[in-house]
This record gives sequence, C-alpha cells and structure tokens, in this order.
Amino acid sequence: MNAYAKLWWPCAISCVMTWLLFNGPLCHAQSDEDFFETRVRPLLVKHCQECHGAKKQEGGLRLDSRDAWMRGGDRGEVVIAGEPDKSLLIQAVRHDDPDLQMPPNAEKLTAAEIGDLEAWVQRGASDPRRESTQETSKRLSLDQSKSFWSFQPLQAVVPPQDAEDRWSRNSVDAFVHAQLKKQGLSPVADADRRTLIRRATFDLTGLPPTPEEIEEFLSDESADAFKTLVDRLLDRSTYGERWGRHWLDVARYADTAGDGADYPVREAGKYRNWVINAFNRDQPYDEFVREQLAGDILALNGPPESYADRVTATGFLAIGKRYGYKAAPDYQYLDFGDAIDSVGRSLLGLSLGCARCHDHKYDPISAADYYALYGMMESTQWAFPGGEEQKHPSHFPPLVPPDEVARREKAKAEQLDQLDNEIVVRKRQRSELDPDSLAGGVDLGFEAQQSDKPIGKPWFSAGPIEVTSEAQSPFTHIHPQGKLGVRLGSGQPNEGLRYVFENGLRATPDRQMHFTIDFRSAEESKEQGAFRFYLGRGVVESLAVECSATATEFAIRNGSGWEVIRQLKPGTWYTLRLTIDPTAKTYSGIVGTLEDLTVFQEKQTGPNWDGVVDCFICDGIGHVAGAACARDLDNLGLRETAFGVPGSGPIVPRTVEPDAEQRMAVLDAEIKALTERRQTIATTPLYPVAYGVAEGSPTNSRVQLRGEPDRLSDEIPRRNLELLGGELVPTGSGSGRLELARWITRPTNPLTARVFVNRVWQWHFGKGLVASPSDFGSRGELPTHPELLDWLAGEFIASGWSVKSLHRLIMNSRTYQLASVDNDVNLVADPGNRWHWRYSRRALDAESIRDAMLAVSGRLDRNVPESHPFPAVDTWGFTIHNPFYAVYDSNHRSVYLMVQRNRRHPYLALFDAADPNQSIASRQPTTTPTQALFLMNSPFVHELSEGFARRVSAVPGDEQAKTRWAFETAHGQIPDDGVVRDAIAFVSAYREKLASKDSTGELEIAAWAALARVLLTSNAFLYVD
Amino acid sequence: MSISGETKVIPEIVKSTMNTSQTRREFLSSASGGFGAIALAGLCSGLQAASDNPLAARNGHHKAKADRVIFLYSTGGTSHIDTFNHRPQLIADHGKSITASRWLNKSGEYTRFLIKPRFAFKQYGQSGTWVSDLFPHVGSVIDDICVLNAMHCESDGHDKATLAAHTGSAQFARPSAGSWVSYGLGTVNQNLPSFMVLAPAAPYAGAQTWSSDFLPACHQGTHVMPGTDPLPNIQPRTRNTDLQQMELALQSRLNQSHLAQRSADQSLDARIRSFETAFGMQREAPEAFDLSKETEETLRLYGLERGATSGFGWQCLVARRLAERGVRFLELIDVGSSGNWDSHGDMGDHVRLANAIDKPIAGLLTDLKQRGMLERTLVVWTTEFGRTPFHEQVNHAGREHHNLCFSSWMAGGGVKGGLVYGQSDEFGILTSEGAVHTHDLHATMLHLLGLDHERLTFRHAGRDFRLTDVHGRVVGEIIS
Repeated sequence: MNAYAKLWWPCAISCVMTWLLFNGPLCHAQSDEDFFETRVRPLLVKHCQECHGAKKQEGGLRLDSRDAWMRGGDRGEVVIAGEPDKSLLIQAVRHDDPDLQMPPNAEKLTAAEIGDLEAWVQRGASDPRRESTQETSKRLSLDQSKSFWSFQPLQAVVPPQDAEDRWSRNSVDAFVHAQLKKQGLSPVADADRRTLIRRATFDLTGLPPTPEEIEEFLSDESADAFKTLVDRLLDRSTYGERWGRHWLDVARYADTAGDGADYPVREAGKYRNWVINAFNRDQPYDEFVREQLAGDILALNGPPESYADRVTATGFLAIGKRYGYKAAPDYQYLDFGDAIDSVGRSLLGLSLGCARCHDHKYDPISAADYYALYGMMESTQWAFPGGEEQKHPSHFPPLVPPDEVARREKAKAEQLDQLDNEIVVRKRQRSELDPDSLAGGVDLGFEAQQSDKPIGKPWFSAGPIEVTSEAQSPFTHIHPQGKLGVRLGSGQPNEGLRYVFENGLRATPDRQMHFTIDFRSAEESKEQGAFRFYLGRGVVESLAVECSATATEFAIRNGSGWEVIRQLKPGTWYTLRLTIDPTAKTYSGIVGTLEDLTVFQEKQTGPNWDGVVDCFICDGIGHVAGAACARDLDNLGLRETAFGVPGSGPIVPRTVEPDAEQRMAVLDAEIKALTERRQTIATTPLYPVAYGVAEGSPTNSRVQLRGEPDRLSDEIPRRNLELLGGELVPTGSGSGRLELARWITRPTNPLTARVFVNRVWQWHFGKGLVASPSDFGSRGELPTHPELLDWLAGEFIASGWSVKSLHRLIMNSRTYQLASVDNDVNLVADPGNRWHWRYSRRALDAESIRDAMLAVSGRLDRNVPESHPFPAVDTWGFTIHNPFYAVYDSNHRSVYLMVQRNRRHPYLALFDAADPNQSIASRQPTTTPTQALFLMNSPFVHELSEGFARRVSAVPGDEQAKTRWAFETAHGQIPDDGVVRDAIAFVSAYREKLASKDSTGELEIAAWAALARVLLTSNAFLYVD
Repeated sequence: MSISGETKVIPEIVKSTMNTSQTRREFLSSASGGFGAIALAGLCSGLQAASDNPLAARNGHHKAKADRVIFLYSTGGTSHIDTFNHRPQLIADHGKSITASRWLNKSGEYTRFLIKPRFAFKQYGQSGTWVSDLFPHVGSVIDDICVLNAMHCESDGHDKATLAAHTGSAQFARPSAGSWVSYGLGTVNQNLPSFMVLAPAAPYAGAQTWSSDFLPACHQGTHVMPGTDPLPNIQPRTRNTDLQQMELALQSRLNQSHLAQRSADQSLDARIRSFETAFGMQREAPEAFDLSKETEETLRLYGLERGATSGFGWQCLVARRLAERGVRFLELIDVGSSGNWDSHGDMGDHVRLANAIDKPIAGLLTDLKQRGMLERTLVVWTTEFGRTPFHEQVNHAGREHHNLCFSSWMAGGGVKGGLVYGQSDEFGILTSEGAVHTHDLHATMLHLLGLDHERLTFRHAGRDFRLTDVHGRVVGEIIS
C-alpha cells in the first residue's frame, strides 16, 4: 500500500485515513531536492560516508552518490524507492535486524533522523549527487567482455589442412570434417539427386521442383550440375520471395501497426517488396543494413533513381509494434524500445532492450548505451500509422527528394490558387445576378426571411432569435428600404447569429476589406453584458476584427485589448462601417447615427489573423461580462469595394435581369465542376510516401530510471555503443543514424558479419552454428564451429558482403549435400546433429506449405500483387473497442498475405509463421491436431486438391503415368511399383465407393482429388529431406 | 502416460479416451492393407515416444490441489465497489470530496466526489460475505468462493491490463497463463487441446491474450467461438466418413513407409499422431460441444435455453464438459472489446453484463460441486481492473478505470471457500491489507496446480522467463 499511498488523500473527510495518507503528500510542500539537501545529505555525511564513501566501502557499499547506492552493496539493493520497509538502509538504521545495525556500536540515529530517511525513501529517494561519467565508463564488465568470443575481432582463419581428408569438397567441409573427426563421427552418404533438387529448390525458392526441372537436373551429367542448379535457382525472382521472408521474420514485419486499434499500414508492403528486391539483386549486406537504418539520409546524397528505394528501406525502423494512440510523444518510449531492441537483436545479436531499465545484467551494455541510441530515435521523425486518437496517418516520408516535393507542392498551390480565382470570379458573377445578393452576400438584409419565425438559411443561429419587422433598421445607404430585421434575445454567451460568406475575402495587396452593420440594443433590455461582432476566418479560427457593445457603450478590439470608442443610448439604431487594410493589419471605422458619427483609425487587427474574412458572428462574448443585452441587427455587408457613407442613398432594389435564372444555372454548374476539380487536386497525393523515418531535430536523451519516461536522470550524448567503440555522433551531423549504420557495418565490428552469416547458415540447415541467432551475448549459445563462423564471415566481407556468394559457398559444400538418413552410432553420440554428420530433415514452414500446394495445384499467382484492399483511409475510425481486422484471400505467394499484428492471420498463426510482435530469430514449428484438421477439412486444401486432380487427370497416359506424375509433382520422388499400385487401387476403390453413394458430380476428379489430398498432407510433402 | 493425482476425479473419461484412441489406431492399422504391420510398429513407438510429447500429462513440482483451471474473464473492468467490495463509508460519504492525485492517467491534484454504488449489498451464506444485487446467484454459492478484495495491477489501460492479467506483462508479448500451465503439466486427453478459450470475441489485445508466444506453439490457446461452427474444420468435408477413413488409411500407409526409413525422427511420428488426434477430435469434440443430452435440470442451472449455441451459460456448460474430458486450462471470456464492462458513461450497463454471467457462473460452480469436480477444479474470476469510487461530478452516472484496487475471486481447487481476503480503505481507493497483485494471483494459481512459479521457467532469448517475471507471492492464506 505504501507505494500508492502518496497518490491519494482525503480533504473534506476527517479522521478516516491513516497517517501515511495524510503525511506523504503533505511533505511534498518541500521539493524533493530541498528535502534531500536539508535533511538527508547532512545525515549521510555525518553518520554513513566515513565507512561507505570514497575511502572505505564497507560491505561493498558507497552512499556518497546516487549511482553508488543504486549499485547496492554485497547484500544487494539498499534503497528501494518508495518502499522504506523493503529498503535495507531503513532496516539497518531501525536496528530491526540484530545482524544489520547501522550505524554500528549503539550509535543509533534518533527517531526523527530515521523518520527523515524513511520519508526520503518513501518519496522516491531523490538524490542529485552523480558520479562523473568517467568513473562509470570504467566498468569492469566492459573490459572483461573484450575476451568474450563474440566481442573479439574476426580471426583470420585458414581452413584445416588434413592430408587424410578425402571427404571434403570445399573449405566449409574442411572445418566440418575436422570437427566430425574430433567427435569420432563419420558423415553419412551424399543425398541422391532427387532429394538434392527438392532440398535446394525449397531452400532457395520456397517452392517444389517440377517434374521437368527434376528431369533437367537428373540428365545433367556434368560434374558441376548442382552448382548450375544453385545458380539457376538464385537467378529466380522466387528466391527473393523466400529469403526476403526470412529477413521479414527478423525485421518483425506486419501490415498493421499493432497499437490497440491495430491500424492498417498501406505502405508497409513497399518495405516488404524492397527487401525481396534487395535479395534478388544481391545487394551487398552492409549497404542493405545501412539503408535500413539511414536510407533517408543516404538518399539525399545518392543517385536520384535510388532515392525512393533508400527511403523505403527505413521501414525496418518504422515497421515495429506501435503503442501510441496519437503521434509523438504518446508512448513513443515503447516504440523506441522496440526499435532499439530490434536493431540489437537482428543486426548485432545483442539484447539491447534489456538495458532500458538498468544496465544489462550479463552483457556489457549499459543503460547509457541504450539512451545514447534512444537519442538517435528521438532525433528522428517517425511515420505515424494512425491510432485511436489521431485516426489518420501522418509524417510518412516522401519518396521524392525535398526539392521535388517543394516543386510539386508549389505547382499544386498554384493550381489551387488558380481554381480558387476562377471559382471566385464565377461566384461574383452569380451574386451580381441574384436579386437577393447585395453587399457581398445573399440575404444580408434579412428580407428573404419569414416574419415572426426563427431565422433560416443561409443564416445559422442558436438561442432566442426572431425575424421581425420591429427590427427593421432606418438606414438605407447599404440595402434598399426593407421590412425585416432580426432580434436576438439575451441567451447564453455562446448563443447568437452566424453568417458564412460564400465569397470570403482574402488579403490581396492594395485591396481593402469593407464591412458594415446596423444595430441597436433593445430599449427594455435589463442585461448589462456586452454582445460582440466577430469577423475573421471560420468560427473564431482566425480573428480579424472584433467589436463589442452593451446598451450604453461601444468598444473595439485594438490588437489584444479592448478600447471603448463611444457611448450609446439604449434603443437607438446605430450604423457601423469598418475598413480593413490587410497589408498593414489595421482597420478604421465610423460608428454612430446620422447626426452623431464617431470616427476611429489605425486600430490593430487580431495579432494572429491569417488574412481571411469569411465569417461573421454576433454572440454574447463581449468586452463586458454578464448576460448580453437583447439587440436588433440589420443590413450587413462585406466586400472589397467601399460602401456608401451613412446618409447617402437610398439604395434602390435591384432589377432582375430577364435571363438571370438561366445564367445563374450555368454558373452554378461551372462552380460545381471547378469545386470538384479542386477537391480532386487537393486530395490526390502529390507524391508516393513510405512507412519509414526522416531526420527530426537532433537531441540527446536522458536516462529513464527503471525505464519510466517520467523519471529522468542524466543526459547521454548520442554515440556508438561503448562495446563497439563508443564514438560520439559529431555535432551538426543530424540524428546520428547514419553514423550508427556505419559503425554497425564497418568490417572491424566483430558482430554484424558473424550474426548474419550465422543466420544464413541457420536458414540453410535449420540451426545456426550459434544456436541462439539473435543472442551472441554471454547468455547465448557458444558456436559449435567458431573457426568456420569466422572464416565464413571473413569470406563474406571479402566477397563484398554478397549474400548469393555465401549461398554458393555453403550449398556447394558436401556438408549441405549430405543425405538426411539415420545412423545408429551417430544418433547416440550426437542426436541433435550439432556436428553435421547428416543434413537435418526440416518441416516445411507455413508459407512453403501453402505456396507448394498452390503451385502443384496450378493455382499459384506468381505476380507481385497490388497493395492490400484496405478500407479507404478517410473511413478509418478504428479504436481499441473496434479494432481493424481483416483476412484477405489471394492466390499470391504467402509472403504477400496481409500480416496482421494483433489478431493473427488464422492460417499463418496455425502453422507457426513468425509472430510480428517482435524480432523472430527462429520459428518454433509445432505439430498440432488443429493443423491436421485444417489439412483434412479446410476448403482451401479441398479446392487445391481438386485443382491438382484436374492437372493429374490431364496427364497423358494411363493411370500409372498419372499416378507417377502426381507423386513426383508433390513429393519429388517416384515411388516403387507397389506404392503406385496401392494408390491406383485406392483411386478406383474410392471412385467405386463414391459412385455407390453419390453418382452425381465428377467421380474421376473427385477420386483423383482424394489421392491429391493424401499426397498434399502426407509427410513426404510436409517435410524436406 | 502419467496421470497421477488426477485419476480420482475423471478416471472414466480418461479410460474411455484411451480406449477410443486405441480403437482408432486399430482401425487405421486394420484398414491399411499391406502396411498394417508397419502401422502397428508405429503404434508401439508412438506410445514409447509419449514422454517426448510436449502435451503428455506430467506431474508438477509438488503435490497439486487442483488438476485444471476454469478462468473466467470479464472484459472492460468490472467495478469492485458495485460488486464484491462492500464499503459502507463510501455510501455514508456519498457526495463528499476528496483530492485525488491521479485522474485519467494524469498526475495532478483533482478534487473529486465520492459516489456510492447504486446497487444494494446483502450478506450471503454461512460466511456472511457481502455481495451486491448484481450477483445474487453468485451470492447463493458464496460459501464456495474466496473473494479477493485487494487486487491491484500496474496499468489502467485496457490492452495493457488485459495482457498483464493473462501473461503477467503489460508491455511485451509473453505466453499466456494457460500456455504456461499446458507447458508445465501437459494434458490428460490427447484428443482435445490442452488450453481452450471459449470467447464470443477477442478481448483487448486480441489473440495475444492466449498466445503461447515463445513457448512451443502446441501450448497456445485454441480459440473456440460460440456459435454454430465453434471449431473450424472439425466437420469432415468428404462426403462421408468411410471415404475420409480410406484417405487417412492411405495417408497412414504412405507415412508409415516414409517413417520406416526415418524412424529416429520423432516429429514425423508426431505429425502422424496429430492426424489421429484430429480424427479423434472430429469424433469427440463435436460430442463435447453437443449439449443435447444434458438434462433440463442442468440447462436450467446454467440459465440456458435448449438449443442455444452461444451465451455465457453455453460457455460455462461446454467448459464443464471439456473439463470432464480432461482439458487442462479453460478460459471463458464474456464479451469483447466493445459493449463490455467499461461503464464510463453509465454504471447501469453493469446490470446487463452481470445478468449475462451471474446465473451461468453460479450454475457452473453448483454443477461442478454436484459432480464432485469442484474439489479439484480451480475456478477463477477476474477482470482487468476496477472502477473509480469517485468522479468529477457528484451525480456522474459512470466510473473511470481504477487499477489500484479491485476485486476478483477464486473457488474450488484447494481454495478456502467463504473467505474474504484482502481489504481496501473505507472507499475502495487503495488496498490496505492482503493486497494481491496480478503476479500473486498467477503464482497462487500455479501453486494450486502443483507448480512453483519460480521454477516454471523457459529459456528464451538468453534468459529464463517466468509467468510472474521476477515477482509473485503465493497467497498461502487462502489455501485450504
């Protein structure tokens, strides 16, 4: 309870709460820092620091800085902020425990002193004393860590030379062979050719080989037939779809944001396609990494044709799980946490996320390291995908360079301006034809209204209001003598009358704006408050001029203050005329009766006025508080030409021209067409955007104690991880992401190449040389073949970080081409095949099962699909109560399925596809009865089986030929005659049984479809040898 | 298959399950023509390999008091002071002001007005436990229930608190409690999933609430949506079952022949077994979900109309049937992320929501007890958080989120009935004694199942993870 006690206390209720509820918060009258300085620091100096300070550290404890006591002593943590009872320090000074009494030798503190320490801990143990950063950077663990295997520089390794080794084909084999020999294991035989082509084709493309491809490979008798096959597979675009998907697991790819409402991200697929293309064009891995971390910065100085790609690459940072309901900074510390952790795990094999709340417990990653990177994230502008509070996406970086953005925006603005002008011209022409239109708008004299009724269009009103002949103004210099005016009762302050001018005025050089209105207070009104006239853009969106009147006084707003202009008599009609100079942002006017006019000049318009006047309001929020007096209004006007002076006139009613209606209809149609065109241009995106990042304002971040964003500690400069060099981001160079990208990919970084080479090994063999592919730290697994790992990393860098070269190196090894058969002796010694005495059989993953089924059934659509059919962005209203959820069917490859983060795609979830909520190092394949139910009974499998059956039945030849083709297509193997006979017998028995029960439908296809289902759901299909 | 400690309660079911499974094996073997002998060999290796089956039933760390869990979850945040936490002082001081230093997730000083519950409280049972008029039926079985009136958790956001209640973590993707239990104990009936979730809609945070996350995915919750098709793909699509049996027999022959050359690979065998279980589920799961043989009396107990395929009564009755059939962990969620207990605007919403679950829950407890199952079935009811005992206006009809103090309860499975554990202050604002954090609730659940929450770990990403992270206290005071 103590932890929360300070949050609440009663006021009006006495004697019901414990002292803590009273005491805790009341103490807050004094600031935490003052409290520490006046009560705690002297006490620590006097009683504690002699033995727990710079000279002596009894019990391994120092109390002379916050950093020191936070590290604790031999007994562990000594102060738990907010929890005095659990804090060793408090227990010690209380002398509760006979074994822990401080200060010792009966020098027990007084009850008041103990109380002060308790209160200090209770309020959060604030302590401004810091160790110098020099001292903290000397952490022993960093030095020790230099000897840890993965943090040492890459070793230049020479492959083992073993004269007795007749087995190895390449250097990879030499390393593997040396270990096998050492372990007393002998490799099994090589895999047969059919097994090899199925293995390699699934491995590189995620699809099965066709009988024709098998035939081609089998008939290639050259020594490097397999090498040719690997080259051919690497050239296919299906390669990128397969290996891109591996990377997307690591990159935690999803098509939705992952906040509570799980907003769809229309641009996510661009990053996915970028990844696929990067693999297909064998983009050097170091460049691949740099672009994902800082592509937006690289794009600015790169070739224009790479601009879009490089910005798109930063999707790697943006694509993680989001937590916010609106754009920054809402929960951004969690978004950043995801990004930092993903950079660590995916690129460096380091669990950087562990350092969010405290220094990493096992690895040399300090909280300062974490917040050094955090500063880079905070200095970055993040695309916001939309969320419960801000439902529209924002800050998506453009895929064209800034000057092009500016050019297009300028062109668009010009286009819109021109359209606006054309619309204005037509509206003016129209208003000149409209007999109701006078003085800059329709019905500004209220003559089109019905008497004794509340006011109607185009006016808008709230509160007591009536159109009445009693409110007719006597002035005739603006409108012809009419019969009606409007009477407003007192009402609420925000009630009154509003008019929106169709042809609002915008500031134009050398043009003035003119406004006029007649008004009087109701003679009988007893209300003392003021009513006001507002002029400006929209409903008080941008104030130009404000006038205010009570029954006895008229005032105007001059800049930011009210200024009284003259006295008024209740029940008297006054006329007001304003002339606004938008360039000078001043206005002048006259107000009064014909006999008694008051002039005012050079008054300031609203300080933030944007130059537009399109709205008039009369409400009760004026210069004198209190309910506004009832008033009559009449004869408004707003236009760019001056109005007549009071007393001029009278204005004569406008004559209606004979063809006015027709001409107005023509103009209306033109205005409508122009407005629609304007809307189209205004809403059509000017340039494509990506779900990525851009540079923001460079800033350093402060350490968040225990990862809590409102408990800030020291500011940390943006810099490299200390482990990797600790260099500072140079001043003036932006967020530091580009520097980070370079630090991460420089060849001297011991981790990047090792981590990626290990991933590639894992994706080829099912398990990495380091079995914890995203943890190369001290809690990770040690490499089984450290020299091989370093040699591969060295070759990889030497090849220009070419991933395809790495595939060739690995796949052309004999190790890769081993059979997956059992060997009793080896099984006992090495059941997990750590030493690669065989090739480990692997289950097809979710994507491969689905894609292979689509492929063999002839239903696979191999095109890259358009973006997902998400609902239109202007309809998005998703909330955590009503989150986005969709499953889109398609026959495209599974890598293109819409990956939803919060509610997983039912198929992908069922078959253990990567959970996009975090970076996935390796999938955990499972075998569940619910998967079996899907394979047995789902419409998907049944439809595809039928498709497969149609292909089988179209195969020329007899049933034997058809059956062999079916087996070869599904399993890559042609079974022996006994199995073929069994299958044929099954098909005919099935057909007969079906005929006896149901003679409708296509028996032939149905029977072959039954065989197809068996083939597509049997282990020979679902596993790869 | 080790099922010690469980045979007392459900021996008949387990026996019949095992018989069914053997019958099916024999069927597949006998129908497999020339591959029969191999199929039988596969059967033997299958049984030997049972201990490698991650779902095989096994003992926990210590002697268990409960064999299974039925976890009832009310989405949206059920008000504690309107249900189980009777605060006379709150009623007496209705309308008086207090100063709150937190409101709508923001710090500051806020003058707020105490608001009394609009539902009367009565004492029920021998224990005299106070329960409001929202839950009269639960009140009628209160002597079997231990009410926890000093629950608290770390977040007052729906999705975060929902995840915390299920996975122990408000921020990060972690395995659900049901997955941990499945991982720790396996399950006795291989024809049904170990962890099933009966929910008409996903709660906040979606399927992450029953995800196995980094635990092997066979431990993930199998979501069953009430309705006419609760288990997708459970119905054979071939026109009749003997045709499907023909297919499975051929598939079995092919698989056995495939396996014969690869016998050391247990995943191949596991896949073969998964088809057998699935075949078993086709037969057994629809029966488990078929309520037509339940008596009128039983249906009445749950407040269920004959023929109904949804509603909390349906969920509770199906849960009992699944529990009887050996499902280890059942979670029942009443409503999804909308139209739930989140009564910001009007606490009157609580009436509809309580009505929907009150009788079914009482029926479930009564039914379990009548059948002798309650003793070893732990029933837990909880929600993401409570609701504020105060508001901005004196007469505000709603209540806001309140995670500093709320109510939950446990029943059966080694928990003391008729007990109220934990106290709040006079108004239900803060816990004052016997505080139980979500982590403590999880630790206690695991303890009752024979699992030590500090020892039930899984190595992932370089560290040993627990359901309770580095927290959790077994609330020994409520254990009988």
